[in-house]
Amino acid sequence: MTLTITCPICGKRNGYEFRFGGEEKGPRPAEKDLTPEQWCEYAYMNKCVAGVQKEWWFHKDGCACWFTIYRDTTSNLEVANPGEGDRRNSHE
Amino acid sequence: MFWNNKRLWGCPVLLKDTYDAVIIGGGLHGLATAYFLARNYGMTNVAIIEKRYIGFGGAGRNTAIVRANQRTQENLPLYKEALELWPQLTKELDFNLMFYNCGNLNLAHSEAALKAMRMNVASAQFNKIDSRMVDPKECKELVPALDISDRPRYPIYGGMYHPPGGIIRHDAVVWGLAKGAAEHGVHIHQGTEVKSIEVKNAKIVSVETSKGKIYTPRVLNAAGGYSAAISYQMLGIKLPISVLTIQAMVTQPLKPLLNHVVSSGAYHCYANQTLKGEIASGAHMDPWPNYTTQTTAYYIKHQAEALTEFLPCMKGVKFMRTWGGLADMTPDMAPIMDGDDPIKGYFLDCGWGYFGFKSSAVTGKYMAQFMATEECPDMLKPFTLRRFVRNRLMGETAALVNYSPDN
Repeated sequence: MTLTITCPICGKRNGYEFRFGGEEKGPRPAEKDLTPEQWCEYAYMNKCVAGVQKEWWFHKDGCACWFTIYRDTTSNLEVANPGEGDRRNSHE
Repeated sequence: MFWNNKRLWGCPVLLKDTYDAVIIGGGLHGLATAYFLARNYGMTNVAIIEKRYIGFGGAGRNTAIVRANQRTQENLPLYKEALELWPQLTKELDFNLMFYNCGNLNLAHSEAALKAMRMNVASAQFNKIDSRMVDPKECKELVPALDISDRPRYPIYGGMYHPPGGIIRHDAVVWGLAKGAAEHGVHIHQGTEVKSIEVKNAKIVSVETSKGKIYTPRVLNAAGGYSAAISYQMLGIKLPISVLTIQAMVTQPLKPLLNHVVSSGAYHCYANQTLKGEIASGAHMDPWPNYTTQTTAYYIKHQAEALTEFLPCMKGVKFMRTWGGLADMTPDMAPIMDGDDPIKGYFLDCGWGYFGFKSSAVTGKYMAQFMATEECPDMLKPFTLRRFVRNRLMGETAALVNYSPDN
């Protein structure tokens, strides 16, 4: 379960310095015309991907910065942005 | 008896192409549902699809503690019936489930925890469940090894004693239910993985597995830690679940020392002595979602520190084994049991987190009723998935484990 996380300010640090902030779900839905379904989707629902997911972290014992990383939930390792890899391939 | 190598749950059978119900997950909830479908409703044309082997997941990884001292009025009757079902099942299945009815002692380390306990005890007694407050002296009488002095960092302020609880051999429950289900004609397909679920006109049509396609009108998602991922990947239905690894460990065998299950919310530690003499002890969950089931030195250290604080005689005792399992946690620490919504024939029995063991048999009974009659039993109505859209979450988060000396 060992995990190191790369904070954009402090660099690679022990995972226990951070607080998990949930799966990346896009921007918070606007309050105007917000339905209970939309709010539930944003506040509670998860994809629970067994594999690479984009997720939020908070450096609670450090710089107090919020940021996203990609992590493989089956190996508990931080990985590179899988989307970027694809783009690089398509340029070649 | 030693020359009889026949499996308790019958010989492996070939996958048929139609079943009346397909149950994803050969854990306790799936096995119990299949058993009660066959026994109570005569629905014997049922398949259990298990990717690994029965009891591979949470069913064989929990610390085997059963109790009925939860926090909310919706949960208590379910867990009460669960406790009463174990002795009945032992007879009915003709299989010794090794129910050791030793009682649970929950320790309070602050005034806040004592107050929360009074609330829990009152709720339990209102539901005619035996649960009572005890002072530190009575705690010491119940478990003489406890340190009730002011030496520990969090001294013991009192406790909640719940005599009807105890421990059950979890493997025995798996084997007993598998045997019972198979005797009624249920097919248990181990080593069979679900690949996809087909839906037409908002109705379940078929399930594609690694061993072939099954036509069925009913599917129960009882896949434990993987239920949320299956629900989203195969049906696009997201669930309010986070999957976390939870760890447990056992010490070397000792002489009888703990004749009750002892737990402490403040130390995040629970311990019971198995019939072999090992102290089985569990810790809290990993602080971030993962499917690894890996164990860590971090928690072994935490567990050793916690145990030796309130049970000082444990100093020097060695941990023998440690393991991890998956807990599918919901935000309100209560399960999700639902069905026919929004897909006809799709039933959910998940979000059981780290408390799915105690309730497995009784949940199977009610889920079987739900699946057979297509009407949600009153007992399960509060656990609908819709409670999250309505923002009516249950109050189980106010259970004792969250009361620490800090609040």
